[in-house]
Amino acid sequence: MKPFRTLLLVTFSLSLLAACTQVRPWERGLLAREEMAWRTNALEGALNDHIFFSKEASSGGSNAAGGGCGCN
Amino acid sequence: MNFKKASHASVIALILGMSFNSLAVEEGDDAPGFLLPAIQEGQPDISMAALEGKTVYVDFWASWCAPCLKSLPLYNEMYHKYKNQGFEIIAINVDNPVEDGLDFLIDTPLDFLIPSDPDGETAELFKVIGMPTSYLVTPKGKVELVHMGFRNGDMEIIEEAIEKVLAAN
Amino acid sequence: MKAKPSRSLLAISTTALALPGIAIADAPPVNSSLSYQVSNYKEDNLTREESPFGDLGRYDIDVHQFQFISPIGRNFSLQVDANYEDLSGASPWFTTLSPSGSPIVNLSGASGIEDSRSELSVGTRYYLENGSIGGNIGYSEENDYRATYGGISAERHFNNDLTTVSISLSYSSDDIFPTDAEIFNRVISEDKSSTSAAINISQIINQVSTFQTAFSITEQSGFLTDPYKLIDTRPDNKTQIAWSNSYRRYIRGSNAAWHVNYRFYHDDFGVTSHTADMSWHQNFGNTIQVIPMLRYYNQSAADFFTNVDDFSRPATDFQSSDYRLSAFGAISAGLTIKTTVGDWDATVTGERYLANEKYSAFSVSQPSAALVRYFRVSLGLDFSF
Repeated sequence: MKPFRTLLLVTFSLSLLAACTQVRPWERGLLAREEMAWRTNALEGALNDHIFFSKEASSGGSNAAGGGCGCN
Repeated sequence: MNFKKASHASVIALILGMSFNSLAVEEGDDAPGFLLPAIQEGQPDISMAALEGKTVYVDFWASWCAPCLKSLPLYNEMYHKYKNQGFEIIAINVDNPVEDGLDFLIDTPLDFLIPSDPDGETAELFKVIGMPTSYLVTPKGKVELVHMGFRNGDMEIIEEAIEKVLAAN
Repeated sequence: MKAKPSRSLLAISTTALALPGIAIADAPPVNSSLSYQVSNYKEDNLTREESPFGDLGRYDIDVHQFQFISPIGRNFSLQVDANYEDLSGASPWFTTLSPSGSPIVNLSGASGIEDSRSELSVGTRYYLENGSIGGNIGYSEENDYRATYGGISAERHFNNDLTTVSISLSYSSDDIFPTDAEIFNRVISEDKSSTSAAINISQIINQVSTFQTAFSITEQSGFLTDPYKLIDTRPDNKTQIAWSNSYRRYIRGSNAAWHVNYRFYHDDFGVTSHTADMSWHQNFGNTIQVIPMLRYYNQSAADFFTNVDDFSRPATDFQSSDYRLSAFGAISAGLTIKTTVGDWDATVTGERYLANEKYSAFSVSQPSAALVRYFRVSLGLDFSF
């Protein structure tokens, strides 16, 4: 673990918060676009999570690990 | 230094956010007046004042708002059902660019008044908290119902409120 | 010899993660949708240099995914996921040293293994004014593995819906009963369990950008070893943490959106990894979208990884030559083309993945001889009604 790198990332995240503006509900047209979703294709995302998980040692981060976890 | 500045700004944003919420137009308040151009070119301007004495349903919608698009054809039916009893709908479009709203209307013709509010000035006046939000206004100009979002079964709730206002006036 | 048991393919669409941004007040989906995706991915054959003896063919896998999402009444939504996977091929059985001193891989001896996996999960979500809560349960079965799992999650909007915080908890209970256990002197039946918790914060930054950060911690205990390796012993518990960050930005002038993600991972087997990926979502009118993608991954080796099996060590010592626990890097590039016609969406995707010890930013003292390279193709169909 590199404490400096962690601090840098946390500071970056917080300064993004400071850059936040009030976006009124009627100003959210661009954010509502399909391509602005966190996951634009649920099945593709799940498949990739599954494949990378079976070929690499890492998993998790975005949500609690689903079940059927054959992590061996 | 960056951390401190960032956390101060976040706290201010949070407080501002909370105060914005508390000024919302609520049931029992007087409906704000407004004057807006129609979305269709060549049509006359639209205002609350011109509809004095009528029961008015004011709805804020946009082409990018899925629940809005679901509600509009149902509102068209509702308009035809009650218009002979002094009922009007003003569906304020907040699309920017306006063309997005016009594109939707090409495929879905609607028979009630549709003003255009691309800069959100009237939405700001009503302190709209989410999309869609609608306001049922009595002939005396009081807000009878504030309805946020549009889900299955909402038409019953809205029509019940309309019938109650129409019967009382 | 067949694959290690596979992880759930559950596509968790009912969390903040997959909801279309946080632009609209929380509510069940407006329409119902039915989605299907069929995929094939095939690992490159090993080279004779990597495996001088026996088969060179690795895995060839077909995957079918189904998903149904629907609003129920005024306040609920339902999600059903079903997956079916068909697998054939071979995996590394043990590694030895070649006469020239480099590690060589021996694939599982069987001429061809066939296995299929079926999975079903059901989830529901209840929507309130400012958030939602949900739960799901699922079951996965293949000829040597069975898993039962469930999870709950809750999310809430704050700050005029500019901020969303969600927390989730999940649990899985798995049984492992390797095939040909007596013949190959494997464990007959083992079990393991996994508990996981995650917190996710997403924020609207301005009219064109959003940011999300998520932290998860997972604890596994029980049988964590690969029973199909000739020699492989791992600890019976493992703690892992992951921290992901995502940024989305719409580029007005280009009518496109840019996605970038970064994840940091660490576990107490000694593996640390960094994953960075980005994609560009380019619109062409309202009908076509072209999405190129690039991903860079690198990990350090587990403490007990050895690239050559050491049969002289007692079976109780931790060791594994599983390439997944070695230090390596991987680069993958993909392209998706999506078309929308009325209520239908169709997508086609191709992706190439290459793992190589040279791509790793971590120091590699023992490169694995069995690093994987594969090509994947997927076709998807989506119908809204």
